[in-house]
Amino acid sequence: MTTTRGRLRAAAALVISACLLTGCSKGADTGDTGTGAAGGDYTIWDPYPQFDDSSDWVKLLTKCGTDAGVTVKRTGYDTTDLTNKALLAAQQGNSPDVLIVDNPVVSTLADAGVLTTTDELKVDTAAVEPNLLAAGQIGGKTYGIPIGANTLALYYNKKILDDAKVDPAAIKDWAGLTAALEKVKAAGKKGITFSAIGTEEGSFQFLPWFWGSGANLTQLDSPQGVASLELWNGWLKNGYAPNSVLNNTQTTSWQEFAAGDFAFSENGTWQLANAKKTGFEYGIIPIPSQAGGTAPAPTGGEFVTAPVQTETARYAVTEKLIGCLSSSDNALTTDTTLSYIAATEAVQQKQVAANPELTVWVQAVKAAKGRTSDDLGTKYPKISQPLWTAFQAALSGSASPADALKTAQTTAAAATK
Amino acid sequence: MRYARHAKTALGLFFTAVMLFPVYWMINVSFTRDTDMRADPPHLFPLDGTLEGYRAVFDQQLPYLGTSLIVGLGTVILTLVLSAPAGFALAKLRPKGGGVLSFVLLIAQMIPGIIMAMGFYAIYLRLGVLNTIPGLILADSTIAVPFGVLIFTAFMSGIPDELINAAMIDGATRWRTFVSVILPVSRNAIVTVSLFAFLWAWSDFVFATTLDGGGDAQPITLGIYHYIGNNNQQWNAIMATAVIASIPATLLLILAQRYVAAGVTAGAVKD
Amino acid sequence: MAHDVSAGVPASASAPAGAAAGARAAEAVRGRGGGGRRGRDPGRPARRGRGHWTAWAFLAPIVIYLLAFYAYPLYRNLDLSLRHYTVRSFVQGNAPFSGLDNYRDVFADPAFGPALLHTLTFTVVSIAFQFAIGLALAVFFAQNFRLSATLRALFLVPWLLPLIVSASTWTWMLNSDSGIVNYALELMHVDPVNWLTSPDWALTSVIIANIWIGIPFNLVVLYSGLQAIPAEVYEAASIDGATSWQRFWRITFPLLRPVSAITLLLGLVYTLKVFDLIWIMTKGGPADASITFATWSYRFSFGSLLPEFGPGAAVGNLLIVMALFFGLLYIRFQRRQA
Repeated sequence: MTTTRGRLRAAAALVISACLLTGCSKGADTGDTGTGAAGGDYTIWDPYPQFDDSSDWVKLLTKCGTDAGVTVKRTGYDTTDLTNKALLAAQQGNSPDVLIVDNPVVSTLADAGVLTTTDELKVDTAAVEPNLLAAGQIGGKTYGIPIGANTLALYYNKKILDDAKVDPAAIKDWAGLTAALEKVKAAGKKGITFSAIGTEEGSFQFLPWFWGSGANLTQLDSPQGVASLELWNGWLKNGYAPNSVLNNTQTTSWQEFAAGDFAFSENGTWQLANAKKTGFEYGIIPIPSQAGGTAPAPTGGEFVTAPVQTETARYAVTEKLIGCLSSSDNALTTDTTLSYIAATEAVQQKQVAANPELTVWVQAVKAAKGRTSDDLGTKYPKISQPLWTAFQAALSGSASPADALKTAQTTAAAATK
Repeated sequence: MRYARHAKTALGLFFTAVMLFPVYWMINVSFTRDTDMRADPPHLFPLDGTLEGYRAVFDQQLPYLGTSLIVGLGTVILTLVLSAPAGFALAKLRPKGGGVLSFVLLIAQMIPGIIMAMGFYAIYLRLGVLNTIPGLILADSTIAVPFGVLIFTAFMSGIPDELINAAMIDGATRWRTFVSVILPVSRNAIVTVSLFAFLWAWSDFVFATTLDGGGDAQPITLGIYHYIGNNNQQWNAIMATAVIASIPATLLLILAQRYVAAGVTAGAVKD
Repeated sequence: MAHDVSAGVPASASAPAGAAAGARAAEAVRGRGGGGRRGRDPGRPARRGRGHWTAWAFLAPIVIYLLAFYAYPLYRNLDLSLRHYTVRSFVQGNAPFSGLDNYRDVFADPAFGPALLHTLTFTVVSIAFQFAIGLALAVFFAQNFRLSATLRALFLVPWLLPLIVSASTWTWMLNSDSGIVNYALELMHVDPVNWLTSPDWALTSVIIANIWIGIPFNLVVLYSGLQAIPAEVYEAASIDGATSWQRFWRITFPLLRPVSAITLLLGLVYTLKVFDLIWIMTKGGPADASITFATWSYRFSFGSLLPEFGPGAAVGNLLIVMALFFGLLYIRFQRRQA
């Protein structure tokens, strides 16, 4: 009996020590990353896992830490994961010092009491464009500073439009765009591709059309709202847009465009670098609204925020770190790396001076609108989900646009009550 | 006879080809340039291929493979240590309440991974083992341990009692009997459980992302995530990672498979 | 021959009445006689008292392990489902107790009916095909021909792929416009199918991909079950002049029944839990056409910008209850067989 137990224990000990001898010891000394932030270590979480330690972004973070006299421990998480992580960490009283999150999440985190206001931290947001800052404002308080912004516009394939005798500059409203798609199709090419996937990404892509009709998120089934969904639906029915849009992410839809058969792609600033690699001439026009003019597109991009800490003494350093990240020179580097448009006019001008191609995007960002603005705040997610359910239902043919939006409005109204 | 054997090999090759077509497709995509990814009709062979994806993988992914290997092997060891004695006890010593334990194990398997992961996150955060390899090994083992106990119980109850009784008459303790009689005879079960434990740990994503998302030592399933940016995904690099990642595991598999067959034909378990 | 088969089955009936089905199911796996011999074991009852403690010494690690790592997540999930959580109360940990409200909401949700139906369809169809194909392949590969071991090993490759990769590959192949499957259909002059984007096909598509992923598991377990059937049984049958079809139905299938039961049960447990595959391929859409409980639970908790942990946990618990129901069904089946 005793021998049995004794040997079991011995065996267990053996396994543990074997584990320690091999790789586990390697893990053990990295154990403190992300948990707690004691002494001179300051933690930063960002949604850019694609950047490793040799990237400009991480170098910048390290430099900002050195300037402030502390060591920065940085972790890059997948963007959808980051929200959950931030909430769980806050629940356990273990938030990072600096958290960089997607802008529509800011209001959710702020509402949960996870974030400090810019007043508390004395972060200067005066230079930031008000339409960009709005996504981080609830009830008159600001909960972070945008690191940069991106938005949507229409990329076009020059050769296809030339062959179909379409002048992109003449496309000013929906009717003009649809007419252009018709011509492209008649010329034997494909019309437009976008992402109508059943996630926030799909809503992000639908909003320029929805807002461009004059509809408002508080009333999804308004005649204007229905008109915008009918526009998408008509494109699919007439074969101007492929059926695969229902399952397209923005990357997939870009790949369809990059294959060279599509005339238009609704896509973002971040594809600029890839656009040069396609091997065909491209151009960019703003997304038209129904009646004519540029439709407001939603803003994308992240906010630099400072989660609440029990040790308020830490805020002084955090303040320096955020100041460093949002200073003009650093913002220029960061926004260039991320292929974003800067959040302040001064930096925007520098960007355009360096790369005139960005002019269209700077204008698009100026016309853009935060998803959580209009004082929607935390109500936005509860509206966005019924909205994407609605366009998925309509485009897949399981409901008419009007019926789908009516259901969506009922759901959204019940959820935001 | 000879003809029939060749026909079977041919049929076997055909089945394997059908089964592995998606894998071929993954390899194809790993060589495809970004601009050809959504070509219509699709390119059946990567004629205008690129090695861009592989270059990215060799530059960045090798440490992740090492981590995955350690995590996989660690999970195998932990799983065996926990489940083999338990299987023996349930199959041969049959204590009171053993049935209840078997049922609890069965239920344990039913808990969705994401629920487990959320619970682990809170525990790990307090213990400070978040983002460590032992932590990940422990979490990954929860996928395989209940399965291991089930399989060990099943295989070991097939071992004739005479074998155990003979050992006991010779004066061996139960532990000794277990180590020197039962375990060698259960080679087949050990390989099967190890194989499953390794594969589950190797391809686990839920635990890795929840519990090891921020560490320096991340497994390969998270390495893939480096190619999935906020707005953009580098598909050829993702698929190239998957291809590279499956090579060592495939070799291991082929070896293990041989061993399974050998263990059986050796006839140790035969009455 | 028939004696051999039937002798193994009632043999397990002689197991002590107290030992519940799990252990019995397991022992039945090798039902060809181990149990019978145990019944005749003369030394056994005398050692019972002391053996009891030794047995628990063997079981101690696993019991501690279970308590430490399963109990808490389960408790936590139950607690989540019984409270009214907002993001704020989740962080501050002061969510009010709301009884069964979350469950009521879930039952009243218009997605409940479809989710239940799809979960059942997805599970039953997947398992039926995985098992049938796995068994057929196991029998096929059990005949030792050239390359059989290597090819069998290659069948496991799909399993080595991280799910995000294999699911994405399927998404790729089933793409409506540039997918290889529709291209093949086009070559055969069949109209293309909107695999992932049509409400009529989305569920079928995820089932196909899931069957593909499940085949290796079924193949391995059933194959090792086949290996456990002694060659003499077959030799005896071939002397009796049984055809290969008869051999399969009269010997292989009945002898494999216990292993089959475990394979099916595990398959069930794993299939009920599947969420990443569906999530990556269709997100449960379009318009809930392929939503299952697991996907639904994930969508509540993580699928939108605003997590709803309460209903998410409630759906997760319903899933566990469902699995529990099937587990009990399995035990009944085992009892009856015994």
